[in-house]
Amino acid sequence: MRHTKRAVTAALLTSAALALTGCAAGGASSGGGGGDAAASCEPAGEDVTLTFTSWIPGIEDAVAIWNEENPDIQVEVQTGPSGNAGTYQNFFNQLEAGNAPDLGQIEYDALPNFRVQDGLVNLGACEDVLAAEDQFLDWTWGQVTLGTEDEVYGIPQDQGPMALFYRSDLFEQAGIEVPTTWEEYREAAVTIREQGGYITNFSQTDINQFAGFVWQAGGQWFANDGDAWTVELTSDESMTVAEYWQDLIENDLVSTYPAWTDEWNNAYNSGEVWTWNSAVWGANSILSGAPDTAGNWSVALAPQWNEGDAVAGNWGGSSIAVFNGTDHLYEAAKFALWLNTSEEALTSLNETAQIYPATEAGLDLPVLKEGVEFYGGQPIYDVFAEAAAQVSPDFVWGPTMTQTYADVSDGFKAAASGSSTLMEALEKGQESTIKALEAQSIPVAE
Amino acid sequence: MTASATPATAARLAAEEGRGRRTPTRRRRVQHPWAIVAFVGPFAAMFVLFYLIPIGVAVWQSLLVVEREGTYGTATEVFGGLRQYELVFQNEAFWTSVGRVLLFGIVQVPVMLALALLFALLLDSPLIRGKKFFRLAFFAPYAVPGVIAAIMWGFLYSPNLSPFQALTSQVNLLSADFVLWAIANVVTWVFVGYNMLIIYSTLLAIPQEIYEAARIDGAGQARIAWSIKIPLVRPALVLTAVLSIIGTLQLLAEPQTFRSFSSAVTSTYTPNMTIYATSSIPNVSLAAAFSVVLALATFILSFTFLRLTRRKGADA
Repeated sequence: MRHTKRAVTAALLTSAALALTGCAAGGASSGGGGGDAAASCEPAGEDVTLTFTSWIPGIEDAVAIWNEENPDIQVEVQTGPSGNAGTYQNFFNQLEAGNAPDLGQIEYDALPNFRVQDGLVNLGACEDVLAAEDQFLDWTWGQVTLGTEDEVYGIPQDQGPMALFYRSDLFEQAGIEVPTTWEEYREAAVTIREQGGYITNFSQTDINQFAGFVWQAGGQWFANDGDAWTVELTSDESMTVAEYWQDLIENDLVSTYPAWTDEWNNAYNSGEVWTWNSAVWGANSILSGAPDTAGNWSVALAPQWNEGDAVAGNWGGSSIAVFNGTDHLYEAAKFALWLNTSEEALTSLNETAQIYPATEAGLDLPVLKEGVEFYGGQPIYDVFAEAAAQVSPDFVWGPTMTQTYADVSDGFKAAASGSSTLMEALEKGQESTIKALEAQSIPVAE
Repeated sequence: MTASATPATAARLAAEEGRGRRTPTRRRRVQHPWAIVAFVGPFAAMFVLFYLIPIGVAVWQSLLVVEREGTYGTATEVFGGLRQYELVFQNEAFWTSVGRVLLFGIVQVPVMLALALLFALLLDSPLIRGKKFFRLAFFAPYAVPGVIAAIMWGFLYSPNLSPFQALTSQVNLLSADFVLWAIANVVTWVFVGYNMLIIYSTLLAIPQEIYEAARIDGAGQARIAWSIKIPLVRPALVLTAVLSIIGTLQLLAEPQTFRSFSSAVTSTYTPNMTIYATSSIPNVSLAAAFSVVLALATFILSFTFLRLTRRKGADA
């Protein structure tokens, strides 16, 4: 008995210690230099090696081109899981520990989060960066300046203008016109449901897709006036979008498979679900998730809230940011600019990962002018180029998006299973986001 | 582990003097202090470095709060006393999740241990053939990593992709009503074999003479199992129960994996998932406070259980 007790005590101590160590990643105060004190953007005058973390498949190829051409600025690239799947957590931990890489891949919606945690260097100190503004689409540049005039916290890499992917064969057979307004979209949903299909699948986890809908509707989720944040998850536009989808869910006009699972792929591959309101990069997701439907898909501009409007939302897109603690701001900015503006880099990124550039010139890459076989030979990127020009430049992301996404997603899941509504989910998300901000002393306007 | 410097001696003396008798260890002069340092040193260093210091850091971190000026002002961490703990106790989702895992534990742990005991007794019984095979077969699921097991069961439960669709399309095991028990089934499947092995090895250590005496007294196999084996493996049962209680409170991998199968599993479904979600905000101080509270809760629960079982043991 005594030995047992001792062993149990030891086991208790060990496991409790494990529970604690699991979360003891944090250090003391926020490290690094820079921050608001403008770091200088001077060349080092010697050979430099930069570290760069990304999750873009095949980005090594583009980096290899750079390393070949720039023997004095070598870049070591490290790849990991996508941002919310673990890389952001790694970045935050590395920033705390003071060993973050020089450069990192960060999606637009996460930039304010890293900025609040004092993790990013202001690239506005580099003249080349400020001079590059004209090369980018207005709204992609707006995503990295975070509402300031001459502060830049990342070089835009790609974008996700949204459009409507639809099964042209099924629409034709059923004699349904491609919907141009959300009202028509709902009418089409009824017809499709009568035929046993679903017009689309409502994703409970892709809150950034939903944000894209709100973005298209002209809504905002956050505002930042320099003194305090305003949280507007329950803004009128946001609620209108929620009510629209809530109605579709309640009337069983959309399916609610968990997105990005095999069940979800199966629903598209089997022809049960007919459309997807997605971003340009979604072209590749359909291709890999629903291979049996090759040749049957087309792309049209997104349905509008008001007939005759021409606005698009955006879903995704990322930037290359420079982390606090780097000793080579000049070189890092130079590399980030090259990676995201030069034709050779953008071509390479498009070949390996179908990256859709954030620059004006990038949208005219020869490869983006061709017809795509999977889409019946339609030159789909023309549609996305049109959509990209319709994205509002004013959408602002909040400083704790990971938390906002998680909380709203919990609510959306409850709505999908019928025990709550999307509107309630947004209300709860609003509340918990404000709490999360206050818990970190981030000022919130009442 | 570190509780006694002479466990070997104690064990030897205990063996010499028979089971269950306590021997007061005599105080002796330490003969080879440097040898002790050489043997214990590496462990002690690691223990301090990877257990004690991280625990200290976590506790310290949980006492800090962030202060900043303006929306993007520089953040400074200052001592905030128990402010984070206030937030922990106001956090409804966290306490709901604690209640959820307690319910889970009250049902799952007894079921799992009952199964483990049953399998161990069957393996130990002379009536069963193919023991080696069954011992391995029962233990094999433990060799499957928790995440893989959860993915596998997730597919088995799926209403559309399951090979047992005839059943799963009728009863959605991944719905809010059932998913907790669907997860309990996965955890049971993985850990029954492990607990069985602990109990079985205790059974093997029971001296044959006791069985002989029982048989002479006319006891059958069932009687032997009930009156001799089960009471003698009590310590092992207590150990597995405590380990299971700890494991239950710290559930993470299985429910986290189930999030992609079921819409009923939220990001704060278990206490550890809440901690994980909080740390990825990142709000490390609050996450540390959650961790400390969870660790204390685990301590209290486990020691309460030990105290209860020990008192019963003394009465018997």
